Amino acid sequence: MSEIQALLERQARWQKLRRELPWPEKIQMAERIRESVRQLRAARKADPAEHPLHRPA
Amino acid sequence: MCSSGVIQNYALFGAAAQMRYTEPVATLDADVLVAVPQPDKLDVLGDIYAFCAARGYPQEGEAIRVGAWPTQFVPVFTPLTREAMEQAETADFDGVPFRVVRAVYLAVIALSVGRAKDLTRILSLLESGSVTRQEIGLLAARHGLSDAWRQFEARFPNE
Repeated sequence: MSEIQALLERQARWQKLRRELPWPEKIQMAERIRESVRQLRAARKADPAEHPLHRPA
Repeated sequence: MCSSGVIQNYALFGAAAQMRYTEPVATLDADVLVAVPQPDKLDVLGDIYAFCAARGYPQEGEAIRVGAWPTQFVPVFTPLTREAMEQAETADFDGVPFRVVRAVYLAVIALSVGRAKDLTRILSLLESGSVTRQEIGLLAARHGLSDAWRQFEARFPNE
Protein backbone atom coordinates (compact mmCIF):
# COMPACT_ATOMS: atom_id res chain seq x y z
CA MET A 1 0.00 0.00 0.00
CA SER A 2 1.38 3.40 -0.92
CA GLU A 3 2.00 6.04 1.73
CA ILE A 4 -0.67 8.23 0.17
CA GLN A 5 -3.20 5.40 0.30
CA ALA A 6 -2.40 4.80 3.97
CA LEU A 7 -2.70 8.51 4.69
CA LEU A 8 -6.09 8.71 2.98
CA GLU A 9 -7.33 5.68 4.88
CA ARG A 10 -6.17 7.17 8.19
CA GLN A 11 -7.97 10.40 7.34
CA ALA A 12 -11.14 8.53 6.42
CA ARG A 13 -11.05 6.63 9.72
CA TRP A 14 -10.51 9.87 11.62
CA GLN A 15 -13.40 11.55 9.80
CA LYS A 16 -15.69 8.61 10.55
CA LEU A 17 -14.90 8.96 14.26
CA ARG A 18 -16.77 12.26 14.16
CA ARG A 19 -19.93 10.24 13.56
CA GLU A 20 -19.67 9.02 17.14
CA LEU A 21 -19.61 12.52 18.65
CA PRO A 22 -22.65 13.69 20.64
CA TRP A 23 -25.34 15.29 18.48
CA PRO A 24 -25.05 18.79 20.05
CA GLU A 25 -21.32 18.77 19.35
CA LYS A 26 -21.95 17.88 15.70
CA ILE A 27 -24.50 20.70 15.43
CA GLN A 28 -21.89 23.12 16.82
CA MET A 29 -19.41 21.87 14.21
CA ALA A 30 -22.01 22.49 11.50
CA GLU A 31 -22.42 26.04 12.84
CA ARG A 32 -18.67 26.59 12.48
CA ILE A 33 -18.74 25.18 8.93
CA ARG A 34 -21.58 27.54 8.07
CA GLU A 35 -19.73 30.54 9.53
CA SER A 36 -16.66 29.66 7.45
CA VAL A 37 -18.77 29.44 4.31
CA ARG A 38 -20.38 32.78 5.14
CA GLN A 39 -17.01 34.45 5.56
CA LEU A 40 -15.69 32.99 2.31
CA ARG A 41 -18.75 34.22 0.46
CA ALA A 42 -18.52 37.66 2.06
CA ALA A 43 -14.84 37.95 1.11
CA ARG A 44 -15.57 36.99 -2.47
CA LYS A 45 -18.42 39.48 -2.66
CA ALA A 46 -16.34 42.31 -1.18
CA ASP A 47 -13.48 41.98 -3.63
CA PRO A 48 -13.59 39.03 -6.04
CA ALA A 49 -10.06 39.67 -7.33
CA GLU A 50 -8.59 39.49 -3.84
CA HIS A 51 -10.41 36.32 -2.87
CA PRO A 52 -8.00 33.45 -2.14
CA LEU A 53 -10.03 31.09 -4.31
CA HIS A 54 -10.16 33.52 -7.22
CA ARG A 55 -8.62 32.09 -10.38
CA PRO A 56 -8.54 34.41 -13.38
CA ALA A 57 -9.73 32.73 -16.58
CA MET B 1 -45.82 26.35 20.81
CA CYS B 2 -47.54 22.99 21.19
CA SER B 3 -49.05 23.80 24.57
CA SER B 4 -50.38 27.13 23.29
CA GLY B 5 -52.08 25.36 20.38
CA VAL B 6 -50.16 27.13 17.62
CA ILE B 7 -48.95 23.73 16.42
CA GLN B 8 -50.18 20.27 17.27
CA ASN B 9 -46.91 18.40 16.83
CA TYR B 10 -43.42 18.87 15.42
CA ALA B 11 -40.19 17.08 14.59
CA LEU B 12 -36.82 18.23 13.36
CA PHE B 13 -35.83 16.79 9.97
CA GLY B 14 -33.32 17.55 7.20
CA ALA B 15 -29.58 17.92 7.71
CA ALA B 16 -29.73 18.90 11.38
CA ALA B 17 -31.63 15.69 12.13
CA GLN B 18 -29.35 13.65 9.90
CA MET B 19 -26.39 14.70 12.07
CA ARG B 20 -27.71 12.60 14.93
CA TYR B 21 -26.54 9.63 12.90
CA THR B 22 -23.81 10.81 10.56
CA GLU B 23 -20.78 13.04 10.50
CA PRO B 24 -21.48 16.79 10.69
CA VAL B 25 -22.60 18.21 7.34
CA ALA B 26 -22.75 21.72 5.95
CA THR B 27 -26.24 23.18 6.15
CA LEU B 28 -27.65 26.67 6.15
CA ASP B 29 -30.79 26.17 8.18
CA ALA B 30 -32.81 23.90 10.40
CA ASP B 31 -36.03 22.31 9.09
CA VAL B 32 -38.93 21.47 11.34
CA LEU B 33 -42.01 19.52 10.28
CA VAL B 34 -45.13 20.86 11.97
CA ALA B 35 -48.77 19.88 12.16
CA VAL B 36 -50.96 22.97 12.35
CA PRO B 37 -54.57 23.11 13.56
CA GLN B 38 -55.84 24.63 10.28
CA PRO B 39 -53.71 23.27 7.44
CA ASP B 40 -56.05 24.68 4.76
CA LYS B 41 -55.66 28.27 5.95
CA LEU B 42 -54.21 30.59 3.30
CA ASP B 43 -51.40 31.89 5.52
CA VAL B 44 -50.69 28.53 7.07
CA LEU B 45 -47.54 29.64 8.92
CA GLY B 46 -48.87 33.04 10.00
CA ASP B 47 -49.68 31.98 13.57
CA ILE B 48 -46.24 30.44 14.00
CA TYR B 49 -44.50 33.60 12.80
CA ALA B 50 -46.69 35.75 15.06
CA PHE B 51 -46.04 33.50 18.05
CA CYS B 52 -42.27 33.67 17.48
CA ALA B 53 -42.23 37.41 16.82
CA ALA B 54 -44.08 38.05 20.08
CA ARG B 55 -41.28 36.20 21.88
CA GLY B 56 -38.42 37.99 20.19
CA TYR B 57 -37.65 35.52 17.41
CA PRO B 58 -37.62 37.53 14.19
CA GLN B 59 -38.69 36.33 10.76
CA GLU B 60 -35.92 36.23 8.15
CA GLY B 61 -37.34 35.53 4.73
CA GLU B 62 -38.99 32.13 4.94
CA ALA B 63 -37.39 31.31 8.28
CA ILE B 64 -37.38 32.28 11.94
CA ARG B 65 -34.01 32.91 13.51
CA VAL B 66 -33.57 30.75 16.61
CA GLY B 67 -30.13 31.39 18.07
CA ALA B 68 -27.64 30.79 15.29
CA TRP B 69 -30.12 28.95 13.10
CA PRO B 70 -32.59 30.21 10.54
CA THR B 71 -35.38 27.71 11.18
CA GLN B 72 -37.88 26.78 8.51
CA PHE B 73 -41.23 25.42 9.59
CA VAL B 74 -42.67 23.04 7.02
CA PRO B 75 -46.28 21.89 7.43
CA VAL B 76 -46.57 18.12 6.96
CA PHE B 77 -47.36 17.88 3.27
CA THR B 78 -47.72 14.16 2.57
CA PRO B 79 -48.74 11.01 4.45
CA LEU B 80 -44.99 10.19 4.58
CA THR B 81 -44.02 13.44 6.30
CA ARG B 82 -46.99 13.19 8.68
CA GLU B 83 -45.97 9.67 9.65
CA ALA B 84 -42.32 10.77 9.99
CA MET B 85 -43.37 13.49 12.41
CA GLU B 86 -45.69 11.22 14.39
CA GLN B 87 -43.08 8.46 14.67
CA ALA B 88 -40.26 10.84 15.67
CA GLU B 89 -38.03 10.05 18.61
CA THR B 90 -37.45 12.38 21.51
CA ALA B 91 -33.74 13.11 21.59
CA ASP B 92 -31.74 14.94 24.19
CA PHE B 93 -30.12 18.15 23.01
CA ASP B 94 -27.92 19.40 25.86
CA GLY B 95 -30.60 18.52 28.37
CA VAL B 96 -33.51 19.75 26.26
CA PRO B 97 -35.88 17.09 24.91
CA PHE B 98 -36.39 17.52 21.19
CA ARG B 99 -38.45 15.49 18.71
CA VAL B 100 -36.36 14.30 15.79
CA VAL B 101 -37.38 12.30 12.71
CA ARG B 102 -35.97 8.74 12.69
CA ALA B 103 -33.23 7.71 10.30
CA VAL B 104 -35.42 5.55 8.06
CA TYR B 105 -37.91 8.38 7.56
CA LEU B 106 -35.08 10.85 6.86
CA ALA B 107 -33.86 8.47 4.18
CA VAL B 108 -37.26 7.96 2.55
CA ILE B 109 -38.12 11.67 2.66
CA ALA B 110 -34.77 12.27 0.95
CA LEU B 111 -35.67 9.60 -1.60
CA SER B 112 -38.97 11.33 -2.30
CA VAL B 113 -37.23 14.65 -2.95
CA GLY B 114 -34.45 13.06 -5.00
CA ARG B 115 -31.91 15.88 -5.46
CA ALA B 116 -28.22 14.99 -5.49
CA LYS B 117 -27.80 16.15 -1.89
CA ASP B 118 -30.76 14.01 -0.86
CA LEU B 119 -29.23 10.91 -2.43
CA THR B 120 -25.99 11.76 -0.59
CA ARG B 121 -28.01 11.89 2.62
CA ILE B 122 -29.32 8.38 2.02
CA LEU B 123 -25.79 7.10 1.39
CA SER B 124 -24.53 8.79 4.58
CA LEU B 125 -27.33 7.28 6.64
CA LEU B 126 -26.65 3.84 5.19
CA GLU B 127 -22.93 4.18 5.85
CA SER B 128 -23.62 5.21 9.45
CA GLY B 129 -25.45 1.92 10.02
CA SER B 130 -28.47 3.76 11.43
CA VAL B 131 -30.72 2.28 8.75
CA THR B 132 -30.63 -0.67 6.35
CA ARG B 133 -31.51 -0.92 2.68
CA GLN B 134 -34.28 -3.33 3.60
CA GLU B 135 -35.86 -0.86 6.05
CA ILE B 136 -35.75 1.91 3.46
CA GLY B 137 -37.17 -0.38 0.78
CA LEU B 138 -40.11 -1.43 2.97
CA LEU B 139 -41.02 2.12 4.00
CA ALA B 140 -40.54 3.39 0.44
CA ALA B 141 -42.92 0.70 -0.84
CA ARG B 142 -45.55 1.70 1.72
CA HIS B 143 -45.43 5.26 0.40
CA GLY B 144 -45.43 4.52 -3.32
CA LEU B 145 -41.71 5.09 -3.77
CA SER B 146 -40.66 1.63 -4.91
CA ASP B 147 -39.59 2.86 -8.35
CA ALA B 148 -37.47 5.63 -6.85
CA TRP B 149 -35.88 3.12 -4.49
CA ARG B 150 -35.14 0.68 -7.32
CA GLN B 151 -33.49 3.49 -9.27
CA PHE B 152 -31.41 4.39 -6.23
CA GLU B 153 -30.31 0.78 -5.77
CA ALA B 154 -29.41 0.48 -9.43
CA ARG B 155 -27.35 3.65 -9.24
CA PHE B 156 -25.74 2.86 -5.89
CA PRO B 157 -25.59 -0.92 -5.58
CA ASN B 158 -24.79 -2.47 -2.22
CA GLU B 159 -21.09 -3.34 -2.09
